Amino acid sequence: MGIDVTVKIGGEAGQGIQTVGDLLARVCHGCGLYVLAVNDFESRIRGGHSFLQLRISDRPVAAPDHRVHLLVALSPRTLDMHLSELADDGLAIFDSQETGPGDNVVSIAVTDMARKAGGAIMANTVAAGACLALLGASGSLLEIVLKKQFQAKKAGVLENNLKAAQSGVEAVEGIDFAPAFAWPEKKPAGKLLSGAQILALGAVAADCRFAAFYPMSPATGIMAGLTGFEDRAPLVVEQAEDEIAAVNMVIGASFAGVRAMTATSGGGFALMAEGLGLAGITETPIVIVNSQRPGPATGLPTRTAQADLRFVLHAAQDEFPRFVLAPTSLDDGFETMGRAFALADKYQVPAIVLTDQYFNDSVNIAQKPLTVPESIDRHIVTDADMDDPKAYRRYEITDSGISPRAVPCAGQALVMVSGNEHQQDGHISETIPDRIGQVDKRFRKLAAMEKEMRSPRTDFPDSRVLLTGWGSAAGAIRESVEMLRAEGMDAGGVYFTDIWPFPQQAAEEILGRCERFYMVEQNVSAQLGGLIREKTGLKFYQAVLKYDGRPFFPFEIARRVKAAEEAIDG
Amino acid sequence: MVDVRDFHCDYENKWCPGCGNFPILEALKQGLADQRLVPEDVLMISGIGQAGKTPHFLKCNFFHGLHGRALPLATGAYAANSELPILVSMGDGDCYGEGGNHFMAAIRRNPDMTLLIHDNRVYGLTKGQPSPTSERGFVTKIQPMGVRSDPLNPAALALSQGAGFVARAYCGHKEQLAGLIGQAMDYRGVSVIDIMQVCVSYNTVNTYDWYKKRVYDINEQGHDTGDLSAAMALAFAGGDRIATGLFYKKDRASFADRVPGLAESPLAARSYDPARVQALLDQA
Repeated sequence: MGIDVTVKIGGEAGQGIQTVGDLLARVCHGCGLYVLAVNDFESRIRGGHSFLQLRISDRPVAAPDHRVHLLVALSPRTLDMHLSELADDGLAIFDSQETGPGDNVVSIAVTDMARKAGGAIMANTVAAGACLALLGASGSLLEIVLKKQFQAKKAGVLENNLKAAQSGVEAVEGIDFAPAFAWPEKKPAGKLLSGAQILALGAVAADCRFAAFYPMSPATGIMAGLTGFEDRAPLVVEQAEDEIAAVNMVIGASFAGVRAMTATSGGGFALMAEGLGLAGITETPIVIVNSQRPGPATGLPTRTAQADLRFVLHAAQDEFPRFVLAPTSLDDGFETMGRAFALADKYQVPAIVLTDQYFNDSVNIAQKPLTVPESIDRHIVTDADMDDPKAYRRYEITDSGISPRAVPCAGQALVMVSGNEHQQDGHISETIPDRIGQVDKRFRKLAAMEKEMRSPRTDFPDSRVLLTGWGSAAGAIRESVEMLRAEGMDAGGVYFTDIWPFPQQAAEEILGRCERFYMVEQNVSAQLGGLIREKTGLKFYQAVLKYDGRPFFPFEIARRVKAAEEAIDG
Repeated sequence: MVDVRDFHCDYENKWCPGCGNFPILEALKQGLADQRLVPEDVLMISGIGQAGKTPHFLKCNFFHGLHGRALPLATGAYAANSELPILVSMGDGDCYGEGGNHFMAAIRRNPDMTLLIHDNRVYGLTKGQPSPTSERGFVTKIQPMGVRSDPLNPAALALSQGAGFVARAYCGHKEQLAGLIGQAMDYRGVSVIDIMQVCVSYNTVNTYDWYKKRVYDINEQGHDTGDLSAAMALAFAGGDRIATGLFYKKDRASFADRVPGLAESPLAARSYDPARVQALLDQA
């Protein structure tokens, strides 16, 4: 059995829980271990209860574990809420000077020690020192990370943090902790990144040059990531006055010749719906990331969901072609951003990337190298490509449905674009031939767009039972499949990234072969399950659904599928 | 030599006969010709309404977008290519009603573009509802007892928010308007021209005759365009005289001046540099 340990750090917002998690994750990453850090927090800046759950393993992990081996309670509430999650050999560290409530609770005056080392703010460093010592790591590992983090700070900060870490180490000396493991000395397995960061990197790699946004959890991190490149890439990131402005700015920027994107969550996406339609009828390529959270309305602002699939498929009045892609992992997230921009440009349509709070806020390891394309095909024409630039028509009827796209003020060709239905040159038209001609032109692209869609990824696709899902749930489903197989079930997994245009043929082939398939989704009605039924006629047997705003644990998926299977066999 | 006729467009005009938009369009063509611009070099972004249709009747590049959203659309186009000569054609409902938030944000951001607000104090395309600038008491089919709210004051709003180029024009005085459009295009930043316009179909109060008796040109009377208080007083002046002309002009840093990345060259003009981007990814 390899390394698979979960550390949970809980406390009030503002106590630096995330810092402990970051420090531990970086130490693990530096040794070649794999980590997944999941953030669980309330919509508030101070107080309340939040926690970070860090899973450490010697193999890739893509879902949180429900068992906690080491609980760090920086508040009494953390102990009350999470002590029951401790594994049999688990241990809790409680920030207190009084003895804890049980044998598996060790009281350490974390905050007091931090004060002695130079300030209560370093409680997280004390906690990180204690955790790593318990886990069997040598002190020098944390030292390296602390040096990297604090060397640029003013004198004394690094020294105090090293002192704080050391007091944490000393506080747990002599405690026997069974889940401790032998630390490898390998090279990092990839890059340690959050989902939001990988989406920003994917956008930069795709030559995105303009991004507009209005702050909304959990999408803001993507824009924060992009802003970091503003000084080193041809990129402008603008905070708009609202989401309506954001999407219209993006359309304007794309029209004028650069790749452009926005990112929001469901509420902001609702405000962008009319703009989405404008991109649709004007055939302006744009990328919109919708990072889902539970709704409707404000819902659960800092939590996760997969309940906007039907919404993004149909948002905006009338009908027009669009892409909907839902990355299943960090590696997939990077690639999906590149594909979203490329597909939007090629077909002159909006592309929507669906992620969620769990995807954006969790920190994991991107394993594939991040590489940029050698060239970018913008599918833009200039006067040189035209026989007669003065006769250029932006919405010329073509067999493919794709009309040559020129940018304004770039030559003799006049680029005329209208959100009204239009004739081929772009001027308003209400005639029947123009209306039908333009609708048909736009929809003629669908056939080629469908061919661009990739089959869902699979594990053991020839199994009797298939667990099917999309987007960020893939990691948990995949691990639940492993669990079920370990128990002897003939189970496999199917994970959709490309959702629209729906990859009908691939879905039919894969799901049509199994005896029955389950949908595993973070919504209340199995939205992808409904879409599969609509497009293939195939009906899922049962659905494992979760809509409490928290990410899936693999064991809960496995348990529910197992119970359903036993009910059939019994 | 550029001629106003170069901006003629064969597309069938769809405004009502006698519409105040016609003289605005003529003044616009004159202003562009005076700027020695050719249609291929002009970009007009417009919203929805009769004013939003303007670029269809002017030979130029255009994007006729959504109601109220012309300004963010134009801002995006400008961010992508800050060297484009951009005109934004909007109505009073478009700019001050549906797009009011964008109007304020545009003033703050200060992208280099000329805002032409065709302000006829009524909704024409939807057949005669009041607009944000309709007088209190203005009677319409849907407000038979008259409009209950007070009108918005465009010039005062623009001035109060720090706009660096604020003008008021009247559609009946084409030469003055053409001159103001030229000055606005020369100005680096957001320039606001509120154009008082007649609606022959739905506004029987603010007619050509009504305006003719009231308007006067402040720039002929030695108004100091650097005096904010004087400009504000003109914007608020009530009574039977309505001031037109350039109220206020002041240099401000444009959006492109505020974004270091735009100093070099427009975003759209840069070539793709994979090595540079790869270096960014390697540092992540």
